[in-house]
Amino acid sequence: MANTKPAGKSGYRYLVEYDRRIIYLLIFILVLAPLLQPFILPIQVSPDTTTYYNVLNGLKKDDKVLVVFDTEFSGYMEIQSGIIASIRMMFQHEVKVAIAVAHVEATGIPQLVFDQLASVMQEHNYVYGVNYINLGYVFPNEAAVAASAQDFHTVVRQDAYGKSITGTFLDDVKDWSSWTLLSDYTTGIQSTALINHYGLKGTPMIANVIGVMISTSAPYVSSGIYKALLGSMRGGAELEYLTGYPGPGLTAMNSFTLGHYMLMIAIVLGNVGYFGYRSYQNKLKAQEVK
Amino acid sequence: MSEILKSRTLQMVVLVLSFLFVFVPYFIDVKVLTDFSTQLITIAAIISAFTLVLAVYSQFRRGYTFVHRRSRGWIFKAYMMTSIVLMLIFAVYSQTSGPYNWVMYAIITPLSSVNYSILVFYMASTGARAFRARNGRALLLLITGFIVLFYQAPFTGAFFPQLTPYSLYITSTLVSAAGRMFLISVTVGAIVFGMRVLMGKETSILGAAKEEK
Amino acid sequence: MVNPLFQVPGIVSGRALGLIFDVVLMLLVVYYMGGGKNIKIRRVPGLDAIEEAVGRAAEMGKPVVASFGIAGSGFDYWTMAGLAILAHVAKLSAKTGTRLIVPTGGSDQSLIVRPVAEEIVRNAYLIEGRPEAFSDNDLPFLSGQQYAYTGGYIGILQRMRPASVIMTGSHASEAMNIAETSNMIGAITITAGSYVSNTASLACASDYILIGEEAPAAGAYLSQDPTQRASIRAQDIYKAISIIMIIGGLIILAAGSDVVIRLLVS
Repeated sequence: MANTKPAGKSGYRYLVEYDRRIIYLLIFILVLAPLLQPFILPIQVSPDTTTYYNVLNGLKKDDKVLVVFDTEFSGYMEIQSGIIASIRMMFQHEVKVAIAVAHVEATGIPQLVFDQLASVMQEHNYVYGVNYINLGYVFPNEAAVAASAQDFHTVVRQDAYGKSITGTFLDDVKDWSSWTLLSDYTTGIQSTALINHYGLKGTPMIANVIGVMISTSAPYVSSGIYKALLGSMRGGAELEYLTGYPGPGLTAMNSFTLGHYMLMIAIVLGNVGYFGYRSYQNKLKAQEVK
Repeated sequence: MSEILKSRTLQMVVLVLSFLFVFVPYFIDVKVLTDFSTQLITIAAIISAFTLVLAVYSQFRRGYTFVHRRSRGWIFKAYMMTSIVLMLIFAVYSQTSGPYNWVMYAIITPLSSVNYSILVFYMASTGARAFRARNGRALLLLITGFIVLFYQAPFTGAFFPQLTPYSLYITSTLVSAAGRMFLISVTVGAIVFGMRVLMGKETSILGAAKEEK
Repeated sequence: MVNPLFQVPGIVSGRALGLIFDVVLMLLVVYYMGGGKNIKIRRVPGLDAIEEAVGRAAEMGKPVVASFGIAGSGFDYWTMAGLAILAHVAKLSAKTGTRLIVPTGGSDQSLIVRPVAEEIVRNAYLIEGRPEAFSDNDLPFLSGQQYAYTGGYIGILQRMRPASVIMTGSHASEAMNIAETSNMIGAITITAGSYVSNTASLACASDYILIGEEAPAAGAYLSQDPTQRASIRAQDIYKAISIIMIIGGLIILAAGSDVVIRLLVS
């Protein structure tokens, strides 16, 4: 049959060449809708989160924990659930917590955490300087991290409010070996420095990282430098579930799920369009040859 | 004096000595060396902080020249300089309360959070556009990605626990292996790069382009 | 905790093997760089494409946008690699008479790196005999905040519509924003994946990508200097040693011996 082409433009072409703003709109709707109209979806706890939970559960009263907020505020929004859940567990175990900040945007995060956990702190009689302390922005670069690991009091002499740390529980802290645990909440700013100068020397470390850092941080878990790793908002949601205190992580899991599904559907449709359009073009060429 | 300070030889000597003073104490535990290394690192941190002050002053001076000449876009430079001065005043007043805190948490952090969130749109459109099963390897990659995505969605992870071992295997073995090789190759590359710097072959960090022969 | 296979008196426990590896690698680099050998290196498409990208911009009469990263840790090796590539791009731009825009910023430490970048670009124009073509305004400092810098960078791309975007050095999550915008405006996009997590998404959004040690090796590769290129051989030798140790270690471990693990903790 001569001169017969497939009728009209191929519908597959639209699957390949659609305006990307359609994707943006769909993502926006699917992420926002569950937040406006929450519904309950089940969640499964991963082995990594269980390990992280067990490490925190193993803390004893009066253990010294160095908490490092190694994140910009944008990263804090992703790992907020893990931060709140972890520090809640630390307060519940009545450990001594020193909070250090490694990015200028994170200087207000300690107060946000204290405000959210005020009831827990009151319940366990947390006194500033005796049970917890906010050191402020003391890790601006690797040099400061290295120096603090070698001789803590050379680098840190006062807290975030300008008061001397003499007379607090930090009097017993000399160097990297004085800490029972270093808990790093990180988007990667000083995580390598903390590993090099604390973890590799022998300070037990755990980390709560953003999603894109999970694959690069996993080798440190296998080699034993990180005792446990909590990944992204999902890990935080799982930890909230384990601790029994739902929070922003669990709330966001519905949006998380729908966003993932949206991405999978978009990839499938893109491939359907790609192969369909290629087949359509091959048919056109074959007919032109005839 | 400035010619001496700018001389390439002096810069290289300082580079090499700085390297040795930090490298040697890491491997050889001699208290004097370790203490000296700590002091050197602390000095470097302080110098870095002062360099930052100098850099801000330099930007301020450039901005003033820009505004003075009413060059194109001078209003933005004026806005930047006003912001620097205001935040400085606010920070001196108080960093933990007051207007500094308000600017940080009412303006800067929501804006940076929003910008970070915009990534999801770009990732989704890139994924939809770029993941094509053009050949066997791409198809394998796509299937692997789907298994991980399925597991990562908490709902499917809960309803299809059979996916868990496969997904964990992929992330803990395959992805981890790729990550480790990346780390090894980058680390080795960084050491070799460092050696070229110490031998004076990489002049770009000293602020010079290569001369034509 | 396994016992190390050997200990060297005077060396901190657990670091002897690391010291040996470092010293041998340094000696290898010195040997190759001093040996005058002409080593064959495989093509790195991303680096070869820089000349094509600048040439395209010259033909189209559009600018080139190049950046050395946000320098979050100051002068780390990614930033220095980015500066080495910037030097090459600046030289090509000066030679072809193409306008080069270098957005700077992204972190507090970038303020310290910026004068070095300015010096590099200025010198490139000076060496090519076109000092009048250099303009301070073509290296705008956008912001010390990562996402404010991203917004400014994207704005430059949308307004200037460059023919090529060369984004190397230390970039974090903003790399995706910038690469995708560059793709949207139809520019040739050359990026360097400084984090393995960035690499996958940048590979989808860019036309060319430098993966792993290709960026730190750029200075040597682009210099055309045989002695510098020879130093890249040392990297390859060490990668080969790593592969042999991994495979050999797996076999030995499977056979029931932990000698490789004990060697690695020495």
